[in-house]
Amino acid sequence: MQRIVVPGEKLHTAPIRIENTTTDRNGTYSCILGYFDDENKTLVPLESLWDPKPGDTVIGVVEEDRGTTLTINLNAPYKGLALTKFLESDISVNDIVVANVKVLEKGGTIMLLKPSAMKGGKVMAVKPSRIPRIIGKNNTMIKQITDATATSVIIGLNGLIWLKGGNIDLTTAALLKIEEEAHTQGLTQRISDMLAAGMKQQVR
Amino acid sequence: MVGSYKPELIVNGKRLDGRMPADLRNITIEVGVVKNAVGSAYIEWGNNKIIAGVYGPKEALPKHVQDPERAIIKCRYAMSPFSSLEEHGRTGPNRRSVEISKVTKEVFENVVLLDRFPGAEIDIFIDVLQADGGTRAAGITAAAVALAASGIPMKDVPFAASVGKVGDTLILDLNKVEDNYSDADMPVAISPRTGDILLLQMDGNLTKEEVKTGIGMIQKAGEHISRLQREALKAPYERILEKYKK
Repeated sequence: MQRIVVPGEKLHTAPIRIENTTTDRNGTYSCILGYFDDENKTLVPLESLWDPKPGDTVIGVVEEDRGTTLTINLNAPYKGLALTKFLESDISVNDIVVANVKVLEKGGTIMLLKPSAMKGGKVMAVKPSRIPRIIGKNNTMIKQITDATATSVIIGLNGLIWLKGGNIDLTTAALLKIEEEAHTQGLTQRISDMLAAGMKQQVR
Repeated sequence: MVGSYKPELIVNGKRLDGRMPADLRNITIEVGVVKNAVGSAYIEWGNNKIIAGVYGPKEALPKHVQDPERAIIKCRYAMSPFSSLEEHGRTGPNRRSVEISKVTKEVFENVVLLDRFPGAEIDIFIDVLQADGGTRAAGITAAAVALAASGIPMKDVPFAASVGKVGDTLILDLNKVEDNYSDADMPVAISPRTGDILLLQMDGNLTKEEVKTGIGMIQKAGEHISRLQREALKAPYERILEKYKK
């Protein structure tokens, strides 16, 4: 059975290892607002913050050019930092960039690798906890959307999504619908219906 | 206290607003009222109306306040100028609001998993729109819900309430008049999972036994407050689940 749990709620009567939980001798307790599956013992966060890990793809906006480094706003607790000597293309302030996380440094800055500026398009923000649902198992969900709307999409694990071309309005609406209804059953079918109806309207 | 005049606070076993000594006022909590905040909550506790908002975690500034091992919490409790009839609501920080901000901050330092965000800061804002006694307890209760709704990991959702004394009777959840004329007032914040006491302040005098009984009363009332907090947190998600149930 699946249920919504809040911080402090008991998940199991013995201490077991689950991400985002705390344990004592008598049980395991949630630390977040999440969706818990009693059978598989999985806790999916409904509200969470992005936890930077090496290799994560992120999207950000260049905030400042300090000569040797660029500071990049990632809409996260920490700022991104990229060294200018490794840049492959020209990047200036206010550009939208896609980059990979190299490492989270102890002082609280995120070192970024291979930033590249995105030309045109727009950026939207969703809750970082919804990103796995937006991508779907083996990219099924996002592929379904991009196939239908022909929009180029790059998803940053920090919760920012870059969109360009195709039916951007429909893509945005679909992504916002996933953000709102991520914890419900049958979402893939509803998105598919929504995309079909949306594209039909556009043809007319 | 205000002069020597003292109204009778308990008549025929009932309090001025018709409550029994161990009754709470009506409480409603709503989540997500401030769209720009990471997490927010609005509480109506009797005639108290309070908004709590949570921002962050973000880079702690100025840099010298950063802790390389854990996040820091900044808390600001403030009463609106129109919130109360007396001087409480005057603009700007004052002795009382600085004190309440400090004790509230210390409540949340004990439940939030601060070591997940080294060098960061978490901002908690508690704004009292209308005050009728017990605003620090209501503010902590609302801020706890706002924090949980923001996705910041925490060990528990604490609640707070106050207990006081009129004559020989212990009363729960004092309103403004009772607060001003009672013999004692003791706000307590508790972490319901472990029973840890996170805040304990007292005005006036209580005996050892009265303190114990008072905390027991608050723990009992806390079951109800905690349930309301949990329901408020789950409500937006359950509404969507309900929509697609059929």
